[in-house]
Amino acid sequence: MMTWSRTLVAGVALILVTNAVALVGAAYNRAGDPESVLKLTQRELSLPYSWGFEGENSGITLRLCWRVLGAEPQGALGPERSYPGVRGAPDWLDKAKLVALGFDVSTPPDTLAGRRHYDKLLPKEVLLVLDLDGPAYHRMLERAKQYSEREEALHLANPGDKEFERRAKWAKEELDREERESSRLFVIDAGLDVGALRAKYPDRTRYAIVRGQIRLQLAEKEKHPVLSGYVNDLSIDHITVPLGFRQVFEPMLHNARRGQYDTVSRYEVSVAFGKRLEPWITTASATSE
Amino acid sequence: MSVPSRTEAQQRADDIRVFQRELERLEREGVLVPTEAQRRAVADHHHGLLAQYAEAFDIDRDVRAKQLSLGMRIASFLGALALAASVFFLFYQFWGWFPTTAQVAILLLAALGTFGVTVWIHGRAGTGYLTQLAAMVAFACFVLNVVMLGQIFNITPSDKALIPWAALALLLAYTCDLRLLLAAGILCFIAFVSARTGTWSGMYWLYFGERPENFFPAAVALFFIPQVIRHERFAGFAAVYRVFGLLTLFLPVLVLANWGQVSYLDLDHDVVEGFYQVFGFVGSAAAIWLGARRHWPEVVNTGVTFFVIFLYTKFFDWWWEIMPKYLFFLVVGLTAVLILVVLRRLRTTGFTLQGGGTP
Repeated sequence: MMTWSRTLVAGVALILVTNAVALVGAAYNRAGDPESVLKLTQRELSLPYSWGFEGENSGITLRLCWRVLGAEPQGALGPERSYPGVRGAPDWLDKAKLVALGFDVSTPPDTLAGRRHYDKLLPKEVLLVLDLDGPAYHRMLERAKQYSEREEALHLANPGDKEFERRAKWAKEELDREERESSRLFVIDAGLDVGALRAKYPDRTRYAIVRGQIRLQLAEKEKHPVLSGYVNDLSIDHITVPLGFRQVFEPMLHNARRGQYDTVSRYEVSVAFGKRLEPWITTASATSE
Repeated sequence: MSVPSRTEAQQRADDIRVFQRELERLEREGVLVPTEAQRRAVADHHHGLLAQYAEAFDIDRDVRAKQLSLGMRIASFLGALALAASVFFLFYQFWGWFPTTAQVAILLLAALGTFGVTVWIHGRAGTGYLTQLAAMVAFACFVLNVVMLGQIFNITPSDKALIPWAALALLLAYTCDLRLLLAAGILCFIAFVSARTGTWSGMYWLYFGERPENFFPAAVALFFIPQVIRHERFAGFAAVYRVFGLLTLFLPVLVLANWGQVSYLDLDHDVVEGFYQVFGFVGSAAAIWLGARRHWPEVVNTGVTFFVIFLYTKFFDWWWEIMPKYLFFLVVGLTAVLILVVLRRLRTTGFTLQGGGTP
């Protein structure tokens, strides 16, 4: 057995070196100019819930609400609602993109071997491009508008019909949510090289490059297996609020913990993404509108 | 006289107790009657040894103490878990109210402080229940330290954090002769090796559990570690490695034998399941054989347990639906009797299932 003095030295060294590696890494991430800085609001950064153990957590972490824009809706149905943080199959994540990301998609999906092959593929970590208030969001907004107009027209053409009245009301609420509440942060591209993605998306105040996972999934479409790429998750989707900005969120959290979720919290937060693409909050303030 | 470990000191104390009882019997039966001087010399020697062990290792000096020590071991284990959870929730309750520098300082000082206290307790109280408690809290503080640094600075999750955790757990285990910390270190090692194995196929490391075959390299490494690194001075450590090695092998095999679709093997699910069912039977039978041959009772017991689980799983697949339940359970019971008969024959035909478990 080791003597206690050697153990003490070895253990202290291990703890210090581990902390040093983590802290130097964090300092390196934040050194120099950030890779990108996005000005986000309560639409893109949600407050934590306070159920379970979270109720005892004195720290505040904001959840990054990202979305994807799926394919154009078919038929008379409304736009497929894209919930923040929920995996989704964007239209840009096609076969060519999947190949570029390193997925082996050479096996036809409509064979037994193909099904087996794609069932076994697990998520890969890649670089994702987040777009704030860009064309993806505006297309989603446009779809919600068209859907609302269509439902309103049907309602007017069928006066007194409760079903059309309910649908028109729901579509209007959807549009309202899309205009005022839903996240405007969309995952719009993926790649393996930061430089190449930054060259393609040079605006550092609108596009952030982050790490996330893509996975493949076989879906059934008209009784045929269709291969889709899914944005599975972001590697970091929670951002810790430092003590200096705590007073911005404290009153809103207090309301939430008292169950007053109907009070809309409004704030603006600058989130920087550093050399290692890890985020941190640089400014935060409460806003009236 | 040098005593390498608490376990060996306890073994010697138990031997002394047995010797004293047998000596009393021999005296009563008139087989051996030592002189008063001899009796006193032996008693003084034993008394001195027991006092020395009790001071150095907090061992159980008599049967009464031994009975109590099981309760103390359970209390120490539960206490260690509860204290570790308490440390976590204490920090969780207040960390948001400190500036970043203070958060980092508290985490670092907690990890260093609890580690220092563990070494200090070990130096003063030897290898006892208090040392185990302190060591577990020190390990929890270090895990909390790294996890919270990741959260404070929004650091990308990495499997590399498992390396220092495993290193600290193993350092405490080998210094303080603690099997609980050895188990914690081994679990970190299993997670790291399995995550690395998974990333070789291109997957994101957090999904390593979705392919049970990722655990096989860690299982093989754990099973052979006691063969490469001698553990004579750490009683019971070799057995812990072998048991974890077998668990890391047979649990994934059990999963694959029932859900072939999660395998790496690019074969039909039924073929994969059949392959791993055969592998499970042959592997567990081989473990029983090897354990019996090498005098590793823990390997025999783990092998028997998994053999029975594999067998009963198959029985369930084959007969649960088609057999009346009384017949199903009769077959299961008769199989248990058959296994007992086989093991009994093994025992009487030369295999010794008890022993010191030489690594």
